[in-house]
Amino acid sequence: MPDEVRLDDPTPEPSPRRRRPRTQSRSAATRHVSSLRRSQRRLVGEEHPTPPPLDEGHTGPEPAIRTDDAADAASGTRARLRAALLRPGRGQILAAVILFIVGVAGAMQIRINTTDDTYASARREDLIQLLDGLSAESRRLEGEIAQLEQTRRNLQSGADTQRVARSEAERHLTELAILAGTAPAEGRGIRMRIADPKAAVDAGVLLDAVEEMRDAGAEVIEVNNTIRVVASTWFSSGAQGLVIDGKAVNRPITMEVIGDPHSLEEAARFRGGIVSEITGPKIGGQVQIEPADRVVIESLHAPRENQYARPAPPPPTPR
Amino acid sequence: MIPLLGLLAGIVLGIVLEPSIPQVLQPYLPIAIVAAMDALFGAFRAYLEGTFTDRVFVVSFISNVLIAAAIVYVGDQIGVGAQLATAVVVVLGIRIFTNAAAIRRALFHA
Repeated sequence: MPDEVRLDDPTPEPSPRRRRPRTQSRSAATRHVSSLRRSQRRLVGEEHPTPPPLDEGHTGPEPAIRTDDAADAASGTRARLRAALLRPGRGQILAAVILFIVGVAGAMQIRINTTDDTYASARREDLIQLLDGLSAESRRLEGEIAQLEQTRRNLQSGADTQRVARSEAERHLTELAILAGTAPAEGRGIRMRIADPKAAVDAGVLLDAVEEMRDAGAEVIEVNNTIRVVASTWFSSGAQGLVIDGKAVNRPITMEVIGDPHSLEEAARFRGGIVSEITGPKIGGQVQIEPADRVVIESLHAPRENQYARPAPPPPTPR
Repeated sequence: MIPLLGLLAGIVLGIVLEPSIPQVLQPYLPIAIVAAMDALFGAFRAYLEGTFTDRVFVVSFISNVLIAAAIVYVGDQIGVGAQLATAVVVVLGIRIFTNAAAIRRALFHA
């Protein structure tokens, strides 16, 4: 029966026990012929997609048998389903076992998919891509860290430089303040007491004494514990007696000098120096010099505001 | 009836016992499940058409699952795992739809 060929035949599980008793009666030759017919139809291109009702016109010269077959198949399907519900067989047990396995696997997979982290089941390429992205990101962040650390170092060294400059400036300021006489000072030095019974020590002698002290490295000089001798100090002797910076100088005159005591004393005592001048017959005074480890000078010089002089911009640095 | 009960029991057991498979096999489980679904649909279709055989069913089920997993495994080894997995899923999906259409035709004649 060549018309028995069904076109929607691609059953995934072709069974050895095929279909009706009628189909089983087909001989190998008939099957061969039918398959040849099928390929012929396919080549000619008149084959319709699959639905069985449509292929009636092509294949069935015996419509009675075909309708009978279709009805038979339909009723067979129903009957099989009914029979399966009523009398389960070995196949159903097997199917149950396999469905059981599929159910377990499906539940497992769903659980893995929902609860597990995304990386456990990811493929190697995806993981590599993720890793690439992460390492690129971390490289970028490391660069940023290095940059920020560099910035921090710069700021720190800037702050250090500023602190050093400030302490330097402060040191400079105290030096200048001592030099200008606006700050009290202390240190090793000498006390020189000039007894002058004839009141013959005049401004010139005193200026000589100050010059000698400065030559010997005196850093701070004070007269009579009240007058600070600075760069602008002036000396005069007139009718009202000895005057330094507008202040009268009482006798005996005491000079306190900060500097190297030995040098200062030598500078005062050398032949033809200040001591011999004062103790000479012309003045007839006495000089008493005592070195001291700690000479404190607390009198201050009141600086005058400069009326004309202004700081000039520094000259351009030579290249 | 019994197969449905088996499926339900499997799902319940899978949810309750939370079994786990080795890490190595985890990427192939989804593909295996799709292949198993294909085999199940094919078996149901064959059953409705009267051509069902338990031996063929078991053999086709196991071979489908193993071949699908093996294809993806080979793909992973040669660097086209993701693409081959997609290909397997597409082919199996087409087969599942074809089988579903046949089942629908056998059940409802439409």
